[in-house]
Amino acid sequence: MRKLFLVLAFIFIILGGIFVFLPLDTIALAPLVIGLVFSILAFLKSDEVQKKTVKILMIVGVLAGVAIIGKHFLTKDEVQVDEQFEKTKIDSEKEAQKTLEEDLD
Amino acid sequence: MRKIVSLLVLVLLFISSTVNAQVKSNEKLVYAGSYNMSGLMTQLAQITMSTNTMTTSKNSYLHLSCELATYGKWDKFFKIRDLYESYVNPATLMPSLYKRSVDEGGWLKKEKYVIKGTVVNCTSQRKNNPEIKTTFSIGASTQDVVSMLYKVRTVDFSKMTVGQTKSFTIVFDEVQVPVVIKFMGAETVNAGNLGEKKCYKISIDAKTNVLKGKDKNLIWLTADENKIPALMKFSIPVGTGQLTLTSATGI
Repeated sequence: MRKLFLVLAFIFIILGGIFVFLPLDTIALAPLVIGLVFSILAFLKSDEVQKKTVKILMIVGVLAGVAIIGKHFLTKDEVQVDEQFEKTKIDSEKEAQKTLEEDLD
Repeated sequence: MRKIVSLLVLVLLFISSTVNAQVKSNEKLVYAGSYNMSGLMTQLAQITMSTNTMTTSKNSYLHLSCELATYGKWDKFFKIRDLYESYVNPATLMPSLYKRSVDEGGWLKKEKYVIKGTVVNCTSQRKNNPEIKTTFSIGASTQDVVSMLYKVRTVDFSKMTVGQTKSFTIVFDEVQVPVVIKFMGAETVNAGNLGEKKCYKISIDAKTNVLKGKDKNLIWLTADENKIPALMKFSIPVGTGQLTLTSATGI
């Protein structure tokens, strides 16, 4: 059972670690939380010698969590200039003017 | 993800009644749209609502625009650029033309309603498919979703009692949807650059499966002559989210 918890904890924490570098924002916390739950379970099933491995895994998980939360609060949310969308808006307004002139006036 | 962000717009648009004195030309309201992810409200997109005047050879219209754009960090993951527009009578806010241009992660849809009284001439196109033209009827007081949002600001909530309701009808995807708004009292909320504002708390109930829960879809309108939507909270089948006002100019 300890091995299963350890493997699952490892998979989810590594997944969370990878998510730190992807634009997933706080979604990345989901695998980390699951990973940390499994690592706690593995910790409880471990003897004193085995606990060292689990502790390392938990530290990695917590650090990844801090990185995700830090990124969440420090990254400024901005909309990028999108020339295609700007053109869509201008074209839409021109088409509307034409429709209003021809169909409704 | 496409549905979630679209719903931010829809919730923003599901609202609503008399002669316009509140909505002016050149008004611009900017919102941050957030969704609850892993227990934290995560900002996904910016929603901009703006107004300007369009003049034709015979008439003058108020152009109401609502655009949604995902923040740069999400664009590579799932880019959304939605544009909802309504051209309305500046006095009554009744629409003559409604346009919708949706680009959600590459899923494209364009829709145009030319509204002449109770007759709607609709042109729609999905992706690169041929245009489909249809004609259908709506009620005399039915509005598009964009003009509805502005019309709600003309309701005199100061004369309403807690629990009092008002009914409206909107047309969306060629279907008429009944919408009921309920006055729930007054609360003070943060209204972006306007600071802390006393607001009217309104609950929105639409006969659609898009919104979930009783009194869980809420809008706070500033309790002044402008009735600016300061905060909106929504509950949908896959979670909850909110739109917070970050900037209001030209009011």
